[in-house]
Amino acid sequence: MLLVLSDEHKEHLGFLPEVDSAVVGEFGRIAVEFLRKGTNPKIYEGAARKLSVDAETVQHGVEGLMYLLTESSKLMISEVDFQDSVLVLGFTEELNQLLLQLYLENRKEIRHILGELTPSLPHYHNLEWRLDVQLASRALRQQVKPTVSMKLHLEESGGVKSAKVLQTDPATLMHLIQELEKALAELKTTHCRRILRNIK
Amino acid sequence: MELSESVQKGLQSLADATLFDLKTFSVLIEVAFRSLLSAHADRSVLDQPEFKRLDQKLLKHCHTAATTYILEGVKQNADKSTISACLEDVSFDVERTEVFYTTYQKYKSDLETLLSSLGRCPPHINDVSWRLEYCIKNGHVHKVNEPSYLISLNVENANNGGSSEDVHFSCTMEQLQDLVGKMKDAAKSLEKATQL
Repeated sequence: MLLVLSDEHKEHLGFLPEVDSAVVGEFGRIAVEFLRKGTNPKIYEGAARKLSVDAETVQHGVEGLMYLLTESSKLMISEVDFQDSVLVLGFTEELNQLLLQLYLENRKEIRHILGELTPSLPHYHNLEWRLDVQLASRALRQQVKPTVSMKLHLEESGGVKSAKVLQTDPATLMHLIQELEKALAELKTTHCRRILRNIK
Repeated sequence: MELSESVQKGLQSLADATLFDLKTFSVLIEVAFRSLLSAHADRSVLDQPEFKRLDQKLLKHCHTAATTYILEGVKQNADKSTISACLEDVSFDVERTEVFYTTYQKYKSDLETLLSSLGRCPPHINDVSWRLEYCIKNGHVHKVNEPSYLISLNVENANNGGSSEDVHFSCTMEQLQDLVGKMKDAAKSLEKATQL
């Protein structure tokens, strides 16, 4: 599957052949850093002064690279498709290889970063448990009531962690284990295996 | 067992044969136990035909004294000798003590269950539902192709009158295996503890 680049995008990337491959490499590194941590406009100005061009041109170049990387990573295009898509820009072979390397080295991480944008529920992180026996309460003395206290650690996609303290009794605990084991067994059924194998 | 003056007075009235004959006494004791176990406060609990000729204020006082005494007894897990000694102090004759104790034994375990359910505790898990899904793509990443589980724990919070605040979370197969593994560890140590 080929990437289709808009004219504006091609124009922005057109700045790249005009500079050294070392500089392009640097821009590539900056683009990935921006994807990780957010943009920093001061870098554009510094680079622009060194290269004697507009800050805006530098910005477009870096943003063009960022967009190229995110679109390619999102669609998970193959090496061949990436090279064919970039061919359209009419860059040198050296530049194309550079861009390909940049894509291959960083696509897993970029997909992970993009994944954090998707709406999702908090996901399971850890479970701590404790066995208690209630001996007495204000309402009733001389009890022997076993309970299982649990602390469920969850994590949101942004890295925000939360922990919930919950309690259950032994009978419910056995029931929970049974139900969840059924859930795990589902993945091994023929139906699920067929789907997992065939939708790739 | 320590009883307040009001409760003691109420019990003394119950012991008095001039105020309550044995039959009326027995009915009142039965009514007292049952009113504690009924789910809703029933205004007509004291509308028994045997009580029609009694002074209503006295009736209410004695009913309150009886129920307070019953709850105190169940709370402390009082045995026959404690109850007999206490009732003797408020002038109960042997017959009435016997009637009381028989009814006490009949309803004791239900009352214990009721009392043990009172009190504060962390949200209590009642049930779990799960969903297995296979994510193909989303708006930001295509070709995801990963199965994932969506788990909902049905949780009841005793403090808010039993309202449910479910806990939802997603997890991968490995994470679910980890969760189930830890729960099984807890179950195993429960089993070991019961064998001690």
